Amino acid sequence: MRHLLNSIPAIFRTLRVAARQVSLSGVIVAVALLPSISPAQQTPQRYVVTADDETADLTNTATFYSIGLGGGLTPVATTASGGAGSAGGYFAAVRVSVLHNAQADCAFVGNGASNTVGAFVVQTQTLAGSFFGSGTDSGGTVGVGLATNDTYLYVGFGGSNTIGTFAVEPGCALAFIGDTSVLGLNGGTITGLAARGNMLVVTYGDGSIESFNISQGMPLSNGDAQNSTGSVNDHIPNGVDITSDGHYAIFGDASTVTTVEVSDISSGKLSPTIVYNVGTAWNSAGVWLSPDETMLYISNSSGGQVTAAFFDKATGTVTRGCVSPRLNGFYNGWVYAGRVGTSLPTGTGSVLYVPEFGGPSSVGVVNVQVSNGKCTLTEASGSPVSDPSSSALISIGVYPARPF
Amino acid sequence: MTRFYRLLFISAVLTVFTTSLAAQLPDCPLRPKPGGPLVNPPDVFSQNGVLSAAFTMRSSFDAEGYLHVCYNYDSSSTGRVEAPTLRVNPGDQLMLQLTNRLIYNPPAPPRGQARRPVMTMPARGTSNDPCTGGTMVATSTNVHFHGLNIPPKCHQDEVIQTDIENTDPPFEYSVQIPKNDSPGMFWYHPHLHGFATVQVNGGAPGALIVGGMEKVKPQVGGLPERVFVIRQQFTDPNKWLGGTNQLTINYHQAIAPLGASPIITMKPEAKEFWRVANASNQAFLALQVQFGTAPQPLELIALDGIPVTNSTMVTTIQLPPAGRAEFIVQGPPSNTAASFWQSGVDTGPIGNANPAQLLATIETSANAQEPPALPPAPTTPETSPQRFAGLATVTPTTQRKLYFAEATNGSAGPTEFFIALEGQTPKVFNVDEPPSITTKVGAVEDWTIENRTGEDHAFHIHQVHFLFLAVNGVPLKDQELRDTVIVPYWDGKSPYPSVKVRMDFRDPEIAGTFVYHCHVLDHEDGGMMEKIKVEP
Repeated sequence: MRHLLNSIPAIFRTLRVAARQVSLSGVIVAVALLPSISPAQQTPQRYVVTADDETADLTNTATFYSIGLGGGLTPVATTASGGAGSAGGYFAAVRVSVLHNAQADCAFVGNGASNTVGAFVVQTQTLAGSFFGSGTDSGGTVGVGLATNDTYLYVGFGGSNTIGTFAVEPGCALAFIGDTSVLGLNGGTITGLAARGNMLVVTYGDGSIESFNISQGMPLSNGDAQNSTGSVNDHIPNGVDITSDGHYAIFGDASTVTTVEVSDISSGKLSPTIVYNVGTAWNSAGVWLSPDETMLYISNSSGGQVTAAFFDKATGTVTRGCVSPRLNGFYNGWVYAGRVGTSLPTGTGSVLYVPEFGGPSSVGVVNVQVSNGKCTLTEASGSPVSDPSSSALISIGVYPARPF
Repeated sequence: MTRFYRLLFISAVLTVFTTSLAAQLPDCPLRPKPGGPLVNPPDVFSQNGVLSAAFTMRSSFDAEGYLHVCYNYDSSSTGRVEAPTLRVNPGDQLMLQLTNRLIYNPPAPPRGQARRPVMTMPARGTSNDPCTGGTMVATSTNVHFHGLNIPPKCHQDEVIQTDIENTDPPFEYSVQIPKNDSPGMFWYHPHLHGFATVQVNGGAPGALIVGGMEKVKPQVGGLPERVFVIRQQFTDPNKWLGGTNQLTINYHQAIAPLGASPIITMKPEAKEFWRVANASNQAFLALQVQFGTAPQPLELIALDGIPVTNSTMVTTIQLPPAGRAEFIVQGPPSNTAASFWQSGVDTGPIGNANPAQLLATIETSANAQEPPALPPAPTTPETSPQRFAGLATVTPTTQRKLYFAEATNGSAGPTEFFIALEGQTPKVFNVDEPPSITTKVGAVEDWTIENRTGEDHAFHIHQVHFLFLAVNGVPLKDQELRDTVIVPYWDGKSPYPSVKVRMDFRDPEIAGTFVYHCHVLDHEDGGMMEKIKVEP
């Protein structure tokens, strides 16, 4: 019996290798069918990609919406992601990560319940494969979160508290490199993560945060795990974003008001966070910088609103901006909002897309206007756009991605 | 020794070992199988002004995986029973000896606790006194006498510092039932912060009845009296949104149509006096007696242990978790299908499911064996001055605004729960923090309590009842004394819903520090509780 138990991991490894080979052969076919264009050579069709996060066995999907000139969304395809989703999870968990560079146009979607990542070729909306990490990686009840730089995809497995490192290979295939075990200072699990340059920054949902050096690929702790300043007042860091120059990490707090925290990471480590209270809208879990980094967009996950704050990239300070009205369908179709995405890869982003968790889920569309130091957020007519394939939408990605 | 004899020897040793282990295992009495007649819980009466009882708190898992947590009571007449009804009269002394012998592992860590270091009460002093706190662990416990207007002192009704561990010797509660208190139905339950959910879910609570209702409400005199304690059990009460659960009524599972329904047998058209406690973790009840599908009029006698001012006829009685209702039911005519229902409550867009559920089938028989009539109290409750007398006309000394709020990390939690005073930073309950509110004996305060969340909450304060004045700014027609009220959920568009209550801190007996909180126990364990200090 003991021999049999010992052999189980090996069996899994064998199966995973086989699955990977099957996936890769699918990739090869998909790549062969692709038009011979270099992804970055021409203006690509823009898409919003949803992680539908359905749990039923192997039925999770990603839905692709094409983005029209005014930012409007039209459903294009719903494609199986090769696994089962988690039916929700942390508001700021990034279940869709989009990669757009000279080598690849990929969307990665977490399959939290089957502990895999579905990799899509964006322009064809086809599945390149579904990729395992280690045998012990588990999304558990909170699923997975993703972060990517040009070379690697980092997958936070909430159940096993491991960060899996995957190399991004041609055709959007993933090659698992290894795991890093992590844990919050107070026992919390991975909630949000973001990568930029050599830094990976993680939130744990227990008030603590930590950064990792990823210059060698696999995350290596910088030894700076700390409770955030806001956690003393029960403002718990949830989502995280990092400026393009890697100077500041910005945390969105799960809270009863709109609080964000900023840490100077220019030294290569997290410094104590500074708390900014930028409004009274309820819960500020998801944060996203505008492409020009002048605006910080905040999903008020429990209040059905979106807040825009002004961000000073030079100093890292955040000042009050504006808040949207409560979005259509809040508490009457959907109940929570995930992290927003921006429509355009330049300027303020122009239009925000808001994942709206409900049955069925939807994507809210919010127009941004900024002038003379003031801003307004207005929900577009026809918003929200239904996502009938999801009853648990909490994460979207926009292709092409913001340039950082 | 041959292999056979060696195995025989090992088997014999194991048999002896497991037998003796079984004899020592903590255990709860078997609970009824689905269906069967509903009978009142066993009673323990006061005698010569004193009710003296000894409980041992134990736990076990049943075959379906439900955790049972029980206050075991041994008596010569009934043998071992759990959670008997304690029956006292105004002015009586309640002497309860509690021995804690819990040894279970709870199904999951309490919600919210994984987010911060495990909270501890101040370390015990060298006297090792349970009144001085200790480490709050799942196997610690204490008792709250819910609704009794008694001092917030250790050995009486104090839950912030009192921490009875499972190796402590028997702990003595000594409670003087106020002479000028009202007759009515109260209840007792564990109240250890962080673990109230799992222990109440386990079925520990029981009813406590202060006698004399027939002297205030003569129409109940001589009526057969039924006592129903509605509980709720989850296989994992700490799981987000609870998961699968079931209501029980006097420990009978109310799971129809999946299982047989408990049966109440009444004489045709006979009147009975029903006393119902919502001892569930989180179920908001809407009680109805239906003939066919038609809700029947119920004569409301008391709410939360206090006789109502006007005995109105109602067809539905809403009870938040911890609420009690006492009412007169007239049985159905012969051959009429009848039933006792939780008719379901919408608890809001992010609230827990509260579906309709048949609690019991009502059958009629001319020969039905009715429960005993309400036992008459030997003393007449003092009529002057009654507790909370004249509260409706007192000018409040202070106005306060409080609100319920939540900070959620994700669609599957975890969530931090708050009850905050307007102007203060919402904080999850921390035993080491100073009281949120400080007032003085003699104060009468009006509190407006808002709900800024998308789910119902149940506001409760220890030591006192309050006058329930208004909902959403609209004065109630019948303003009654309550100890737990529903604060309705916010719909995402309208102004925040609110209730307005009048707090009575005039009685010097309640001077001290105690708590107010949401009585959805999962919320309370997650931090939706604060302290108030009433200075002498």
